[in-house]
Amino acid sequence: MSASTMQPNLDHLAGLTGVRAGALTRWQETGWPHSRVEQWRFTRLTSVEKMDLRPASAAAAVGTAAISAELPENAVVLSFSNGVLDVAGIAALSDGVTASFLSENDTALAALAASVPASHPISDLSLAVMTSGLHLEIAGKVDMPIILAFTGDDNGVSSHPVVSIKLADGASAVLAEWHQSAVGLSAPLMAIEVGNKARLDYAKVQHDSAQSAHLAATGLTLGEGSVFEGFQISVGGQLARLETHITLLGENADCTLSAIYLGRASQHHDITTNMNHAKGHCLSNQIIRGVLDDSARGVFQGKVHVAPDAQKTDGQQMSRALLLSRKAEADAKPELEIYADDVLCAHGATVGELDETQLFYLTSRGIDRDTARGMLISAFLDDAIDSISHPALADMLRPVTTAWMTASNRSETGDK
Amino acid sequence: MAPLLEIRDLHASVGDTPILKGINLTINAGEIHAIMGPNGSGKSTMSYVLAGRDGYEVTGGDILMNGVSMLEMESDERALAGMFLAFQYPVELPGVGGMSFLRAAVNARRIEAGEDEIDQLEFVKLVRAKAKHLSINDDMLKRAVNVGFSGGEKKRYEILQMALLKPVFSVLDETDSGLDVDALKIVSDGVNFLRDPARSMLVITHYQRLLNHIVPDYVHILAGGKIRRTGGKELALEVEESGYVGIDDAA
Repeated sequence: MSASTMQPNLDHLAGLTGVRAGALTRWQETGWPHSRVEQWRFTRLTSVEKMDLRPASAAAAVGTAAISAELPENAVVLSFSNGVLDVAGIAALSDGVTASFLSENDTALAALAASVPASHPISDLSLAVMTSGLHLEIAGKVDMPIILAFTGDDNGVSSHPVVSIKLADGASAVLAEWHQSAVGLSAPLMAIEVGNKARLDYAKVQHDSAQSAHLAATGLTLGEGSVFEGFQISVGGQLARLETHITLLGENADCTLSAIYLGRASQHHDITTNMNHAKGHCLSNQIIRGVLDDSARGVFQGKVHVAPDAQKTDGQQMSRALLLSRKAEADAKPELEIYADDVLCAHGATVGELDETQLFYLTSRGIDRDTARGMLISAFLDDAIDSISHPALADMLRPVTTAWMTASNRSETGDK
Repeated sequence: MAPLLEIRDLHASVGDTPILKGINLTINAGEIHAIMGPNGSGKSTMSYVLAGRDGYEVTGGDILMNGVSMLEMESDERALAGMFLAFQYPVELPGVGGMSFLRAAVNARRIEAGEDEIDQLEFVKLVRAKAKHLSINDDMLKRAVNVGFSGGEKKRYEILQMALLKPVFSVLDETDSGLDVDALKIVSDGVNFLRDPARSMLVITHYQRLLNHIVPDYVHILAGGKIRRTGGKELALEVEESGYVGIDDAA
């Protein structure tokens, strides 16, 4: 495919320099991944390639739309509209948080380029385009949850917000990404560095409109003795891939990255994780739950890589998908790559339907079938949601799954 | 007045296999009937057919409750009409909180009756009061439905549900299986406490032992998908002594 017909149209980027120019060159050489590329075998981007897109420009930011999140009371919201940051929000950040722009901060930009997935279509494209680039440095204990809210109303644009977040040693923060956008393509690029003995509680909700594509790439590094507790929900969009690459850089890091995907109609959700244990004595745990109705499709690809000297690694991964319709489909590709000999690693993947015996037990008590289904789906998801230890984030995420199930019951047609 | 439950020439199959081959049974209000029979006689199939489980297909005959046919009713509709099945193997529901399950069941019935949903505090008091009689403690009530319960605890939890839902017709499917003597007494006392001139029960059991505690008005022997003999409580004693030998072949 020639550069001029590639989507989105990048003609305006001709004058780039530095790491962004390198990213642009790589993108123009490689383009969208072909389905023969192993990492993209389950998630084809044909529909994205066919979109007629132009990257959002500053002019596209037309105020900020409201998001439907039940936000924590003391939260500060940084809003991106069509991929462009509303800089006014920065003033509300508390003392421990220093904000700068990646376009003016070469050090931060270089660090980000080094920590996001390398030679990766989303990394390269969004780094090159970067509709807005925000860098946050967090020192000390910041209690105020920081919410990154992504909205947009122009389905002809692609949005490429780039955010890097650095937690200093011993710092702690609560961060959430809330995506509720109607742009053609959202391609957020995030780099998060959790310093030694730092703690980050993190949540992401992908709640984009039903026609949108959402292709996210996140790079995360954890320092010695740090704690990361992350949870993702993918519920919106037509095509969504949440790809997270984590490197445990120091010993005794404790990392949880769990996810729920909820699909109906012809939605496609992809949760891809790459957990890289570079040092020993670290814990990683992933609980993945998917519920798919109609002809929706879910993909979980999870790789756990344990380096030769990462002894005493404890890496756990469990993916379970629940199919509510015969046309729904779930694929799981768990991978363990272990080069150390003294480790405790396990993974598992199951795909199943609601249990008829359980449904009968509930209905035999006078509970109608839709309510009974809802109770069993809730129970299936609560297992994952109950693992969120930060109460404000749990309160934010729980209504997302509840709302999805309410809508599910309404659209129930019975015979599938 | 129509009998509380009437089973007329009931035939039922599981898959392509006929299991029930013409059951006739009339149960009047206030009566307790026992069904005994050897393994494979169709006892559990009968309980599932009555409760309306999918996959248990009625191929002939009828089931009437207070003169109304139940055949076209789904299992939840039968429950709301007053039917209750105490399961032989109560089903574990990981992640489904016991109290919210009990409350959903009680509220479904109240809504059907045109009443308001039960107040939460009032409900907790009600459950605790009923649970106490069945030696069910708060810890058990807080757990997910049947998860981590012993065999005896599961059976007591079935009777707790029965006490809360106040069914007019209950089927107790091998409620005695897996119970030790003490648990059997607790369960039986719980069931006897619910005896009432307006309610009836069908007690399905393999052994006579349970019927010492829950004394039936009638005993039926089921074998090969048909009721072979009917008698009073003394029939159970007879079976206990001479076994089911001979009954099976009396086609």
